[in-house]
Amino acid sequence: MEQQQNMYRKMLTVAISSILIETGFDTVDKDVLGTLTEMLQCFLCEIGSVSKNYCELSGRIEPVIADVILGFVEMGVDFSGLQQYVKGNKHTVLPPLQPQQPQKQMNMLQAGTKQSLPNHIPQHLPSFPDPHAYIRTPTHKQPVIDYEAIREKYAVQKKDMEKALTKFLCRTNPTHNLFDNEEANIFPLIACKPTFPPYLSALLPQDQIFDPEDLEYDPKSQIQNQPARKRIRSESKHSDTKMQTDDEDENQEGLNKGGEKESLNWEIDNPYLAATKLPSKGND
Amino acid sequence: MNYSDKLNQVENSNDDTDSQAQTLGQPLSDFLLQLEDYTPTVPDAVTAHFLHSSGFEPKDPRLLRLISIAAQKFISDIANDALQHCKMRSSNSSSSHSSSRSKGSKDRRYCLTMEDLTPALAEFGITIKKPHYYV
Repeated sequence: MEQQQNMYRKMLTVAISSILIETGFDTVDKDVLGTLTEMLQCFLCEIGSVSKNYCELSGRIEPVIADVILGFVEMGVDFSGLQQYVKGNKHTVLPPLQPQQPQKQMNMLQAGTKQSLPNHIPQHLPSFPDPHAYIRTPTHKQPVIDYEAIREKYAVQKKDMEKALTKFLCRTNPTHNLFDNEEANIFPLIACKPTFPPYLSALLPQDQIFDPEDLEYDPKSQIQNQPARKRIRSESKHSDTKMQTDDEDENQEGLNKGGEKESLNWEIDNPYLAATKLPSKGND
Repeated sequence: MNYSDKLNQVENSNDDTDSQAQTLGQPLSDFLLQLEDYTPTVPDAVTAHFLHSSGFEPKDPRLLRLISIAAQKFISDIANDALQHCKMRSSNSSSSHSSSRSKGSKDRRYCLTMEDLTPALAEFGITIKKPHYYV
């Protein structure tokens, strides 16, 4: 109700503004505009009230022009100049209001159909909003926390992982064939890399690694010291690093070299399959 | 001769006012016929809303237009008086300060303030006292 009244008052304010522009003013104070709006509203209400009273005084219900004239006289409004006033200036007519339609925009964002009101709710109340606004649908299934299911899942994953790894090694590493013909390689066996001599690891058992320098084959240092691209360079470097181990005999060095050479044979040039390289600090 | 002429003139003027008083309603009822093709500035719906709030519901929509035109003229008269006041002020100030400077172009933009409105309304019998600021 208040909003409606505000709207009508706003229209009055707009009409007053146009009248003032016709008169010759360009700007107006806010106080003045409010005052004039209030005056216009009071004028309209007063003339309506007075005319209605005159109408009822003469025993009628519907007002006539005479009631309005008497109302003007009572209020002291001089209406003799009305005709001249109308004919004199061309008064501006306010443009018709464009009905605002914000509802349409909201409907464009509608997702799904709105549910109908249940029976116990009267129809004149507003309808439900879009269902996604208040209905929660889980987008995924609840995970299975069953012990058996999880164990089984884990076992299956482990098996798959092992399978995949072995397949990968078969593709990349040298393989042996079960059969004599090279074509049908259905059951490839991953080639074993023999160390020389084969019984060396048995003679020198190592439960724990105390000193990395004592290690004959330290995978970490090997990876660090090998650049991925140049083989010859890696061989020389590897031999250089191995020279630092003073405990080894030349035989052992030769053995190591021999053993390492075989491992270097399968070194991959593919940068995606090579070992990761730490950021270079110096020439290494 | 002069006295009789004057009497005649007075009688004629009296007759005129009487005739005016008797036929006061007629021009307006004729005016109503002309109102159909004229749209006042205040929209009909707005006038109708305020008149309805007082209980005035005319069957003839031309009455609405008559009242809205009367209201429009009311405001227009006040605005004209205020414009006169405003122009008097600006002419006074311009003549006192400097008449050689071309202040005419600047003063063409009139601003209706309470200072101009208050004396204009006082002539109509409406006194207004508004505080400059609210605390």
